[in-house]
Amino acid sequence: MEDKTKPILELENLSKVYRTKRALFGDSGSDVIALNRISFKIFEGEIFGLVGESGSGKTTAGRLIVKLEKPAEGKIYLENADITGFKGKALRDFRRKVQMIFQDPYQSLNPQLSVLNTVSEPLTVHKIGNGKARQELVRQAMKSVGLSPPDDYLHRYPHQLSGGQRQRVAIARAMVLNPRFVVADEPTSMLDASISAQIFNILSEMREKLDLTILFITHSLAAARYLCDRIAVIYRGHLMEMGPAEEVIRNPKHPYTQALIDALPKFGDCGDVKHYGTLRRADSEAPEGAGCPFYPRCKVAHRTKCGTGMPRLEEISDSHLVACYYTMPGDETIPEGDACFYAT
Amino acid sequence: MVNSAETDKKISKRFRWIDPFLEGWSIFKESILGRIGLTLLIIFALMALFSFIPPHIDPMYHPMTGVDPAVSHSTGPSMRHWLGTDFMGRDLLSQLLAGARVAFMVGVSAAFMSIFLGTAIGMIAGYSGRGIDTLLMRLADMIMVMPTLLVILILSSLFGQLNIWTIVLIIALFRWPGVSRVIRAQTLSLKQRPFIEAARVAGASHLRIIFRHIMPNVLPLSFLYMTFRVTSAIIIEAALAFLGFGDPGTVSWGMMLQWVWKTGHMFSAPYWLLPPGICISLITLSFYMLGRAMDEVLDPRLRKEEGAG
Amino acid sequence: MALLEVENLNIGYRTRKGYLQAVAGVSFSLEEGKSLGFVGESGCGKTTIGMALMGLLPPNGMVTKGRILFEGQDLLTLSDSEMRSIRWKRIAMIFQAAMNAMNPVHRVEDQVAEAILAHDPDLGKSDAKKQVEGLFQLVGIPEARMRDYPHQYSGGMKQRAIIAMALACHPKLIIADEPTTALDVIVQDQILKETRKLQREFGISMIFISHDISIVADVCHDIGIMYAGQLVEYGSREEVFQSPCHPYTRALISSYPTLTGKKSRLTPISGETPNLINPPSGCRFCDRCPGAKTSCKTDPPAWEEVGPRHRALCQDFR
Repeated sequence: MEDKTKPILELENLSKVYRTKRALFGDSGSDVIALNRISFKIFEGEIFGLVGESGSGKTTAGRLIVKLEKPAEGKIYLENADITGFKGKALRDFRRKVQMIFQDPYQSLNPQLSVLNTVSEPLTVHKIGNGKARQELVRQAMKSVGLSPPDDYLHRYPHQLSGGQRQRVAIARAMVLNPRFVVADEPTSMLDASISAQIFNILSEMREKLDLTILFITHSLAAARYLCDRIAVIYRGHLMEMGPAEEVIRNPKHPYTQALIDALPKFGDCGDVKHYGTLRRADSEAPEGAGCPFYPRCKVAHRTKCGTGMPRLEEISDSHLVACYYTMPGDETIPEGDACFYAT
Repeated sequence: MVNSAETDKKISKRFRWIDPFLEGWSIFKESILGRIGLTLLIIFALMALFSFIPPHIDPMYHPMTGVDPAVSHSTGPSMRHWLGTDFMGRDLLSQLLAGARVAFMVGVSAAFMSIFLGTAIGMIAGYSGRGIDTLLMRLADMIMVMPTLLVILILSSLFGQLNIWTIVLIIALFRWPGVSRVIRAQTLSLKQRPFIEAARVAGASHLRIIFRHIMPNVLPLSFLYMTFRVTSAIIIEAALAFLGFGDPGTVSWGMMLQWVWKTGHMFSAPYWLLPPGICISLITLSFYMLGRAMDEVLDPRLRKEEGAG
Repeated sequence: MALLEVENLNIGYRTRKGYLQAVAGVSFSLEEGKSLGFVGESGCGKTTIGMALMGLLPPNGMVTKGRILFEGQDLLTLSDSEMRSIRWKRIAMIFQAAMNAMNPVHRVEDQVAEAILAHDPDLGKSDAKKQVEGLFQLVGIPEARMRDYPHQYSGGMKQRAIIAMALACHPKLIIADEPTTALDVIVQDQILKETRKLQREFGISMIFISHDISIVADVCHDIGIMYAGQLVEYGSREEVFQSPCHPYTRALISSYPTLTGKKSRLTPISGETPNLINPPSGCRFCDRCPGAKTSCKTDPPAWEEVGPRHRALCQDFR
């Protein structure tokens, strides 16, 4: 299914900084580093999950990929072409290949446009076909997201649709151009569970039938496990762990990933769930400098090592990468002065 | 109310785009202000329409030129002249009806033009941001502080009596800043909404986004403000006419008031003084009430709440 | 005697489109010191129940039938002023997104103190402040942060301040409506754990309202599943999860992706929730129920006792 040697999308040292405005009096505004030199590859035909909490930078990464915003530094490659500086016709062609599904189905559709107009908008913009041909393409897109028969929905307005239906219209709009790559930014966080399940199944089907590659941005590890082939865990603009979804969840190596799994409410059959206990009760003082961002909350962090330098993302086993000093292969030395630490 | 719901359904099945209007209409119907305002406006509109009738009945009923040969001074209401006549023997009712027509013409055209300008400029300023935004808004500020009435007075003393359409144009040119501020604010907030970003990701050009996505969402607000602009346009025109700077060839309520005053009939002919004054007040009030009711339709927060989940 | 007994509660809203029956025939009871969770998707009526318990229904909402017996007293028969003396002192509520409702220009400490003084005017300002100190310590807000403004607090801290406000008058019952929806997973877990601890320490009863079944399952003793204004299943946490009976409960549980265990295909629930302005006379779930029979459409379903405290509103699930 995936051609491991052909990444369709590659991010290289991508950073994004938000500058807060300077106050008239007082401190001179601080910069928020939303993404800090992120690099990863996504292979053709896979569903790649980017998992993080709010403020992790996951949404920013998605927005940079679809070029809603410009990166502060770094490059983005689509099918081996550097798209970072694209303008004009190149940008227009790019837009046909990369699309986005937004988080809020109540806001991502223009309330004044009918479903037909909304879904055919990308076709009109790219001047594809004439009126009739466009309608036909729209019908096909609607059928593929389960809004059948399409004619029942074409002339409705967003306020006449439920949340789940609106999100399906948004997906139809993203798919009508037959893109190669879609960024799905938390597509189900505003929907009820039973409707979310529909959306997951639609995305999964589209990947199968249309050979689509999806970047699935979410805060839910469980959703990522269900839908994704590989996942990456992001915290405060840094990638913490990355690997096959099942592997990362069953065998998390980074203390942050472990804390996330600990924190998830468990019900049903969870007899075999391990408790990792890597979260401190109260945040410790963060030392100045570019240390690991998880340091203040990490029970197993070591003051000098973790507090001063950001660990790099290293491969510890087949395709499983972690950015943590304690899980690097070959790191046998046990630093002194720690009450307890985690060793592989 | 089952019947109207049924007919509503039938209409909306055939003309889907009517749906939002029907919903708005049902909210509008509930507001007392809206109903009163609309009723009054319909009365005035009928007056404007009927203004064409009197001269056909008898040439002496023409508001400007029709003089009743049997009358040579201002007379009170009678069978031939339901509101009486002015100092030249012209029928007051015809003048009142003609004034309604002028009020609508002036009010609506001036309002329409200033809204058109204000919306376009507001959208462009809000969407472009930075340099263009600053430039346009500073221009708006400068124009906003200039007193419209005074400028027109100065212009007409320089260039002589102004034609009614020139007056309309100048009113429009001076009143757009107010609208543009509101539209700009609305555009700024719309700009952040995901559906605009979705349009960008789809590849829409800036122009397309402005006219296809922002404008339809901003137009309801424009129309709302148009109702307020109409009131100010009517009042400005009336004031100008009253002060003697209006178009002498047009019979408007302001002009009627000027004649009452100039010919010294202010206290002796209430049947001449009161109708135009009352009409000016009522028409501005009714547009205002209409605007308030529309506000409720457009701003969901002002509505009486529906059930929650 | 149970702390709270609700019998056959029926609540509706007057809307432009007609009379919306938001809650129909809901009955449940809550013992002292126990917690009950209401789970349901949007529009199921769970928030309406919470508001009705506090007497805070909007002007177009009304309770048409039923009784709410709190400590033996029917809250629905109380006057406004009597209800006001109960509200906050004996029953407190944590609203949805309450943490965003804090006044940004007042310090957090002052706002909590104000809540205390509003219900206990005889207490002096300094006494109130001392109480606030104690409360903040309870909920885990460091003393140094007490004089901060709301915008300086993180989401988790704001929520803790809201919990402190709810605890201020030592209520016997706290109703929490989606208290952790806007929070991150880790913070959510911390807040839930601390809430559970406080509940046990002070013997406070809690009603948890959430659309997320996993939160409720983690925290509550008993669970009530709501659908389209009706309670469709009710029982202890273990019973409802280990042997869900009502088709909706089963469908709901199987539409949640799990973190462990076998990865099975999520089964979404097809169709839409019924229109509550004209609710169907039969079972409200039958349009979407995989096991629906023709009788389900016309005959209203009856309660079926499954276990000692476990019941489901469906006769045919076996």
